[in-house]
Amino acid sequence: MEPMVTEPRALPAGDPDDQVENTASAAAPIRTLSKSPTRIALGRLRRDKVAMICAIICAIYVLIAIFAPVLARLEGQNPTDLHQSLIDEFGYPTIGPTGEHWFGVEPRLGRDLFARWVYGARPSLIVAGAVTAITTAVGVVVGLVAGFSGGWVDRVLSWLIDLVLSLPYLLFAIASSAVLVAIFGGAEGAAPEAVARIRFISLICVLAFFGWASLARLVRGQVLSLREREFVSAARVLGIPTRQVLFKELLPNLVAPIVVSVSLALPGYVVAEAGLTVLGAGLIEPTPSWGLTISAATTYYRADPLYLWLPVLGITILVLALSLLGDAVRDAFDPRTRR
Amino acid sequence: MRQVKVGLAAAVAATLAVSGCGSPSSNNGSSGGGDSKGIETQQAALDPTAKGPAAEVPGAKKGGVVTVYSQSTPSTFDPTDIYYVDANAIAKLVMRSPTQFALRNGKPVLVPDLTDLGTVSADKLTWTFKLQPGIKYADGSEVKVEDLAYAIKRSFAHDVFANGPTYQMTFFKDGDKYKGPYTDGDAYSGVETPDASTLVIHLSRPFADLPFYLSFPAFTPIPKAKDTKENYKNNPLATGPYQFDTFTPGTELKLKKNPNWDPETDPVRHQYPDGFDFKWGGEDPKTQQQVLNSAGEDANALNYGAVDASLIPQLTGDKKAQLIQGDNPCTYSVQLDTRKIPLEVRKAIAKAYPYDQVNKAGGLNSYNSEPASTVLPPSVPGYTKYDALPDLSGVGQGDPAGAKALLEAAGKVGFELSWYYDNTKPIPQQTNQIRVDALKAAGFTVKPIGVPTAELRAKIADYDAPVNMGQAPQGWCSDWPSGSSWFPVLFQSHSISDGTSWGMLSDKALDAKIDEISNLPVDQATAKWAELDKEIMGMYVALPRYYGKLAFLVGANIGGAEGDATMGEPFYPNLYLKN
Repeated sequence: MEPMVTEPRALPAGDPDDQVENTASAAAPIRTLSKSPTRIALGRLRRDKVAMICAIICAIYVLIAIFAPVLARLEGQNPTDLHQSLIDEFGYPTIGPTGEHWFGVEPRLGRDLFARWVYGARPSLIVAGAVTAITTAVGVVVGLVAGFSGGWVDRVLSWLIDLVLSLPYLLFAIASSAVLVAIFGGAEGAAPEAVARIRFISLICVLAFFGWASLARLVRGQVLSLREREFVSAARVLGIPTRQVLFKELLPNLVAPIVVSVSLALPGYVVAEAGLTVLGAGLIEPTPSWGLTISAATTYYRADPLYLWLPVLGITILVLALSLLGDAVRDAFDPRTRR
Repeated sequence: MRQVKVGLAAAVAATLAVSGCGSPSSNNGSSGGGDSKGIETQQAALDPTAKGPAAEVPGAKKGGVVTVYSQSTPSTFDPTDIYYVDANAIAKLVMRSPTQFALRNGKPVLVPDLTDLGTVSADKLTWTFKLQPGIKYADGSEVKVEDLAYAIKRSFAHDVFANGPTYQMTFFKDGDKYKGPYTDGDAYSGVETPDASTLVIHLSRPFADLPFYLSFPAFTPIPKAKDTKENYKNNPLATGPYQFDTFTPGTELKLKKNPNWDPETDPVRHQYPDGFDFKWGGEDPKTQQQVLNSAGEDANALNYGAVDASLIPQLTGDKKAQLIQGDNPCTYSVQLDTRKIPLEVRKAIAKAYPYDQVNKAGGLNSYNSEPASTVLPPSVPGYTKYDALPDLSGVGQGDPAGAKALLEAAGKVGFELSWYYDNTKPIPQQTNQIRVDALKAAGFTVKPIGVPTAELRAKIADYDAPVNMGQAPQGWCSDWPSGSSWFPVLFQSHSISDGTSWGMLSDKALDAKIDEISNLPVDQATAKWAELDKEIMGMYVALPRYYGKLAFLVGANIGGAEGDATMGEPFYPNLYLKN
C-alpha cells in the first residue's frame, strides 16, 4: 500500500515528508518541490553572506588547529620551550612582539605566545567538537527511543532527562572534575602529561553528561508528533522493524532541529571549556589552552595587554562566528523564514 | 617558627600597573621603582641592662588611629596558641612577656620586659627570673609571679592549644609528662614561685636560649581565675600599651589604649596612636594600592602582606619612602635525603639544579627574596657569608654537562630522583617541569609524583614516602635569632622523628657536636654555629634556594615604620602618625 500523502507522486520510504514545506511555501517556485528541506536550507545558506563569512572564519580556525605545529615551526618556536633570558627580574618580558616571537613571550616563563596561541585552538575545537558529537548522538538516540516507544521506556528516559536537566550544571562540573580525575587515576603519581590528558578527557565527559538531555527532550517531542503520522503508521503496518522505522523514517525528518541544535551548541561548548578552565576545573598545564592563558594573564593585563587579549580575541571571534553561523543555519532550516 | 608566608611563590603571582609601550617589561616608563635593599647581618643580641621607658622615636607624635590591612587572617589570639608570625607581631602591642625584643637601629636586641633576662645555675638546669614590681593588667589588678607560672603550665596543654610552640616539652623538667593544668592540675615541678617576685624554671637539659624563648606570647602572664580556656582568645587580658576594644574573629580587631600600662616599666613599647584598627580579608593588591595612594584615611594605613610585584613600578619619587624593607628569618631549601642519595650524586644534583629558572618561574624577585648559600639566614647572629660551596650558591642556570660528568665518574648515570609536587596548580607544575627537564638533561632518571594540593602537606611530611628529595620542611625560620633554633632542630638524629629534618642526617658525632655548641653561652656559640653551618652545607644535605625578605607598604602619614627581623613583620610598637 502506498502512504497517504498529499504529494502528486509517491515518495520512497524514508524521504522527508514535505508537507510543511509545501503548504508554507505556496509562493515558492515549482522546482523546490524536487528538493529536500536540507538541500533548500543549504541553498539558502550559500546565499547568506554573513553565514558564508562565518563559515570561512570557522574553517580558518580548524586549519590553524590542524596545522598548529607547522605554523609554530614557521615561526621557529614551540609552545613549551622556556626563554627566560627574555624575562626581567620581576617576571615581565623584556621584549614585545618581534620577528622571532610574533606575539611576544609569556611573563615569568618566556614561552612563545604565538605558538601557544595556535596550539591553544586545538583543545577548544576538539573539546567543543567531541562534546557536540557525543551529546548529539546520545541525545538523538535517547529522544528517538523515548518518543517512539512510549510506555515505561518513555517514562524512565523522560525521568532521566529531567533529572540531568535539573542538576546544577556549574556546581557539578566543578565538583565532578576532581572526582573523575581520581577515578581515571590522575590523582597521584601520574606524569604531568598524563594528568593533563585525563583532565582533558574528564572535561569532555562532564560537558557531554550535562549536554545531551536538552537535545533528547527536543527530539522526543518531535518524535511524539511524528509517530502518529500516516507514513509511520504505514511503515509499521508493513512490518518494518522498529530500528528501521526510527532511523530510516523518523530521523530524516529530524535533520532540521538536530542541525540547528548542533550549530548552537558548538559555540556554547567553546565558552564552557574556556570558562571551566579559567575557574580551575577544566584543562591544566602543560596543555596550551586559551582558557589557561586567560586565567594566567588576568593579573598581567595592564603591563602586558597582548598576553590577555590574544586568547580572549581568539575565543570571542570563534564563538561569534559559530553563533552567527548557527543562527543562519537555524533561519535556513526554519520554513517560516522567507527572504 | 611557623610562617604565614611560606607560599611566597604563589603569593607573588604578579600584576603590573604601568602599561608598556613596546615591551611589557617592568622597567618600562619608570626607573624600575627603586632599589631593593640587601639583607643585613644582625649582631649579638642581648642587653640585660635595658630599662623603661623606651627611647623616644625621633619626631614621634601622639594621637590618631592606625589602620592595618592584610588579606590573610591571624588564626588565633590566644597567647598560648600563637605561633604564626602575624599574630605574634600584633600580640606585642597587647601582651608583655618575661623578655622581649627591642629594635635598636633596626636590629632586634633581647631586653628585659616583665622580668630580667634570668640567671642560670652552675649545672645550667635551673633558671631564676625576677619580676618587676608594680605592673598591672588592663583591668587594674596586679601582675603576680604566679600568673607567669600559670602561663607556663598552660603552655603544656597541647591538646587544647595545638598550634603553640613546643620547646618547653623538650627542655623543661617533666615536660614530656605534664599535660597542662586542665588535665594534670597545678602540681608541676618545672616551675616554682618561692616569693612574690621570683620565678624559677627547672630544666631537664641545658637550654641556653631560654631567655629568647620567654619572649613568646605563650609566656605572657595569665591569672588562673580569669582563664576562660578556649574563649580566652577573644579577649586576652592586656599588659601592653593597648587592649582589645572590639574583636570580630577573621574580620576586624580594634585596639584601644590600656590606661594601666606604665611606660616607665617597659623598655620596648610606645603608646603613640590612640588605637589600631586591623582589617583582614581585603585583597592585598587592592588594599596595597589604597595604602600607596594614601588618599584620606588610607594615609594612616599600612598593609603587612608582601608587596605585590604589580605595584613595584609605582614606587618612584615620594612613593619610594612608603616601601619598608627589612629582614625575614627564613631560609628556603630543597632537601636531599642522605639516607637514599650518595654524596657524589647529591653533588651532581646541585650542579644540575636550575636555580634561576625555578626562581623566575616561581615569581621570586629581589624584593621578596635573596639567593641563599648558607643554612642560617643573614638575620640570625652567626650567619657568616662564607664563599658559597660549589653549586650551592642559590643562583645559576645549572650545568647539565658538568653534572653528567660527575654522575659518570661515580658510575651512577640514570640514578632515580623522585619528589612530590602539586599537580593541580600552574606554578608548581611549571617549576616541576623545569626541574624535570634540567635533571633529565644531566643524566638522571626523574620521577616526580604529582599530588593534589590537599594531600601535598601530608605527603611531604611523610619521611617513609618513596621519594628522595624535596620533603618538608622546605624552609625554616628562626624561633629566635640564634643557631640553636636551627641546628638542633634540623640536623640531629631526633629531627627525623620530629619531622623537621633537612637531609635526614643521623650521625652520632654530629649530634654530640650540636649538643656541645647548644650548651655554650650565647656569645661563644654564635661563632661555632657559623663553622658548623659550612660543615653541614659541605655534606650537601640540602640545596639552599633563597632567604626571605620583608617588603611592605605604609601610608604617607605613618612614621616609625620598621621591619622586625625576628618575625619578618612590621614592628608595631614604634608606629606613629605624622599629623
